[in-house]
Amino acid sequence: MAVVESAFASEFKTVLFDHVGAGGSDLKAYDQRKYSSLAGYADDVVEIGHELGLADAVFVGHSVSSMIGALAAQKAPGMFGKLVMVGPSPRYIDDGDYFGGFSEKQIEELLHFLESNHMGWSAQMAPAIMGNPDRPELGQELTNSFCRTDPEIAKAFARVTFKSDNRADLGKIEIPTLILQCSDDIIASKPVGEFVHRAIPNSEIVFLEATGHCPNLSAPDEVVAAMRTFV
Amino acid sequence: MDDPRIDDFEDMFENAPCAYITLLPNGRIERVNKTLLAWIGHTAEHMAGKRFSDFLNMAGRIYFETHIAPLLRMQGFFNEFAIDMVTAAGEPLQMIVNALEGRDAAGRALFTRLALLKATDRRRYEHDLLEARDVAKTSLESERETSELREQFIAVLGHDLRNPLASISAGARILGREAKSDKEHQVIAMLETTVLRMAGLIDNVLDFARGRLGGGITLDRDTRRPLEPVLHQVIDELRLSSPGRRIEAEYAIDVPVDCDRNRIGQLVSNLAGNALSHGASNQPVRVRAVTENGLFRLSVANGGEPIPEAAMAKLFEPFFRGEVRASRQGLGLGLHIAAQIAKAHEGTLTVSSTREETCFTFLMPLR
Repeated sequence: MAVVESAFASEFKTVLFDHVGAGGSDLKAYDQRKYSSLAGYADDVVEIGHELGLADAVFVGHSVSSMIGALAAQKAPGMFGKLVMVGPSPRYIDDGDYFGGFSEKQIEELLHFLESNHMGWSAQMAPAIMGNPDRPELGQELTNSFCRTDPEIAKAFARVTFKSDNRADLGKIEIPTLILQCSDDIIASKPVGEFVHRAIPNSEIVFLEATGHCPNLSAPDEVVAAMRTFV
Repeated sequence: MDDPRIDDFEDMFENAPCAYITLLPNGRIERVNKTLLAWIGHTAEHMAGKRFSDFLNMAGRIYFETHIAPLLRMQGFFNEFAIDMVTAAGEPLQMIVNALEGRDAAGRALFTRLALLKATDRRRYEHDLLEARDVAKTSLESERETSELREQFIAVLGHDLRNPLASISAGARILGREAKSDKEHQVIAMLETTVLRMAGLIDNVLDFARGRLGGGITLDRDTRRPLEPVLHQVIDELRLSSPGRRIEAEYAIDVPVDCDRNRIGQLVSNLAGNALSHGASNQPVRVRAVTENGLFRLSVANGGEPIPEAAMAKLFEPFFRGEVRASRQGLGLGLHIAAQIAKAHEGTLTVSSTREETCFTFLMPLR
């Protein structure tokens, strides 16, 4: 998100944060019970908002973080005035008429498969990486820190993400919402983006040419342009 | 067919010992080499223009889109990721992949090159390791639960044993007031000694269980009241319970010692009790407590056979018991608890053992 953020940093006061358990967050703060649902992550967003005294702010979230933002907006009315959801999905698993893109079995396979890739995580390195947010030389060497976390936490996070069902929450979002839908995104496909658009009363959807699930990285200019018109 | 030439780069690409795939920035396949086609069983025409993800299993697709693709964009490469492709026959094709992004001067992606190694055996091996780890973790957890239960049981048992012991002690005192014959006095003294020893054992068991349960040894430090009377009392009790043995005590405590007096009493009792059990019965046990050079030093020494080399290392471990006569056999917790008490006081408990004497020394800083 850093590239997108820098495009707005001159006009807006921007706040970036890592969810607990990921990136530069304090791993000691990871509480299995709290983070066993997206609500736990949303509580953190609200806490950050209160700390900074946010009112009428714009929440920009990518993928699962956009759902976390939507939950936070409901928990703290007035904190966020607008919501930008990049590649959102309220539920990844198919359910009756609802198309999420994945079967229960496929998600189970994914959770199992995650163990095959440790993303360069090493128990010896962990304290050095996690404990030194102010030592950029470590960060540079390990630019993939955004995915780097304790494999147990990574697995738990994937489980929460892919097993959550927030369809019922979409209708409760009252603030103006922008949905950015990529082409060719197998994680949050077009029908899912359209479902989100139909479910959120005050929403608009923009279809990006960008492909894949991370337009903020693959096509930041297009994302910035779409957001600028909205905010 | 011509023989392959060593400098034929086309051949080096097509028939390399690894598979190659080139992707366009939109994730679609530009080119693959013959090695991949042989492994996967598709034709080059079938694969060209399709997404790389189309040839992965679903877990691989999600993983590629959510982890590998963004990482490649951020750092330009990613090495050693595991991914499962699917062959034309629908069989899994397990790979270890390195990926490198080609970029223009402005940092825009031009293409991505993947080098893929077949890793079926390696991945099975890793899978087995992960399974073994999970099994070990599960059994460790159940082991931990069992041992916690056991320690809780010990704690409850220790607590419940104190009450009947208190009744016996009170009963012995009442009888002592009315005892007439020497024999009666003797039996009652023995009763009281036994109660005392039993109480000491229960204290140690409780402390041990508490320590294992995470509570550790808690201190109730008090500098105001003097330490010496506590030591006196402990030594007197030991003298009573070990008739015929000599305990020499020497005190030079000139400054207040910031310690838990009952705990230091317990430490002395454990050390002196140990010295009485293991030391030569014709030689005295010497207890010395002094303050000097900013330290509180308490030593308990006895004569007799030195501690065997092999036993030295395990001396302070719980349930370690040396060779003693059965009537003196304890639980093997005394020295362990003493060491824990020393540690709680930010002090040390050390031992030296020679032909001349065996001496335990507790040292703690005076604050």
